[in-house]
Amino acid sequence: MSNLRTEARVALAVARKDAVAELRGRHATVSTLFFAAVVLLLFGFALGPDAARLAAAAPGMLWLAVVFAGILAVNRLHLLETDDGALEQLALYPVSRRAIYAGKALGGFAVMLLLGVVVLGTVGVLFAVDIAGAWLPLLVTVVLGAAGVAAVGTFYAGVTVRLRAREVMLPLLMLPVLAPLLLGAVKATSAALTGDPFGELGAWLQLLVAFDIIMVVAGAATYGYLLEDG
Amino acid sequence: MPQTTIYVSPRSLGAPDTRPPAVATTDLARLFAGSPALAGVSLRVDAGRTVALLGPNGAGKTTLLRLLATAIRPSYGRARVDGLDLDREAALVRERVAYLSHATGLYDDLSARENLRFAAAMLGTPDAASRVERALADVGLAVRADDRVRDFSAGMRKRVALGRILLGSASLVLLDEPYAALDDDGMRLVDQLLIAWRQVGVTVLVASHSTERLDAVLDGRVTLERGLVAETSGQGILSAPPSLPIDPRRPVTEMAR
Repeated sequence: MSNLRTEARVALAVARKDAVAELRGRHATVSTLFFAAVVLLLFGFALGPDAARLAAAAPGMLWLAVVFAGILAVNRLHLLETDDGALEQLALYPVSRRAIYAGKALGGFAVMLLLGVVVLGTVGVLFAVDIAGAWLPLLVTVVLGAAGVAAVGTFYAGVTVRLRAREVMLPLLMLPVLAPLLLGAVKATSAALTGDPFGELGAWLQLLVAFDIIMVVAGAATYGYLLEDG
Repeated sequence: MPQTTIYVSPRSLGAPDTRPPAVATTDLARLFAGSPALAGVSLRVDAGRTVALLGPNGAGKTTLLRLLATAIRPSYGRARVDGLDLDREAALVRERVAYLSHATGLYDDLSARENLRFAAAMLGTPDAASRVERALADVGLAVRADDRVRDFSAGMRKRVALGRILLGSASLVLLDEPYAALDDDGMRLVDQLLIAWRQVGVTVLVASHSTERLDAVLDGRVTLERGLVAETSGQGILSAPPSLPIDPRRPVTEMAR
């Protein structure tokens, strides 16, 4: 119990530190939201003015925008650790690596959740989709999707943070792993927006829960090795 | 300006002669891209000693400190810190070691106070708020505590990093060129810290090019050259030649640990 409390304290300290640095620098938040908006607009232009077509594609556009922008966000959260040997210092603190992972993932989750909510609202406005009628299942989907992207992104940002080509490598590594999440989130969003006529929403949400659990456990178990510098 | 008495808080250390050696290495080596930065160091430093690591650039001083701090892992060889195995008990070693490297490990967008508060949370410092304020005062940064470290000079950043060490309770302090980038006040601060640590029985290893400022507090000197111990002097230090010749062409796995 005491260990768990200590780990929670460490995780919160890491998440708070990331949040303060980000809010002060406003790097990830502003650039990520702007990027997501640009992605949505470009997808909208590519699909043309047909309202029915846009509405049908809205779940896919929503989650592609969230995932693409999320890659930027989690990368930025780890770039904080490249300040003047900060990553090495982080690794030298006598704390559980699992707690450091939890803290980084928690910070990533907060950013992803904000991103998901804003992008969801933007999709509703731009593509005339009725979000208010299905707000609860949509919110649950966004929470689960944000958690999954944060869990995967925190791990792979840890893998690539020391690489010179990290901006290229991070999406290459993350996107294939995120495929099940993307599928589940798009299907769940689509089901929620259409009133779940086939009763499949629950199954897709279960897929997202399972994905999140697997990724969090795997990330927490292996993140410590990423902090070792050889 | 630092206060006259600096607050250091070591763990309960006991008398130096009842403690295991602070550092005990056997054939400790580290290769980078096949080239040995440290080529088989067997060294014992008794607890409570203040020892200078001397040698030219590339002698292996920083590599030895980074190995003992658990920042990197040995290519082969063994090391113990306070009797704890560096490889198998790294987590426990980290509780006992504080390391000041060339990089300060600070977050640019956080203030000095926020950086130290984060460090206190990570170190589990009791009475964290008051200890952070005390550390800021001790390193002479109370007035600039709310300024972002991005705007600090190299010397001020080093002071914050020294403040971080004051928040822990290390029994072994590893300092890599602690005087570099510091002004006269900053150098006096390091002098005071070395005296304070010595008084409470903390072992200190200081990597430096010269010992002019250190003479008053040193118990001994270890001179490294090309990754090997070339010379030792003073009390509480023992060294031995490497038992294995380092051959970078041989895979590490072929060499006995």
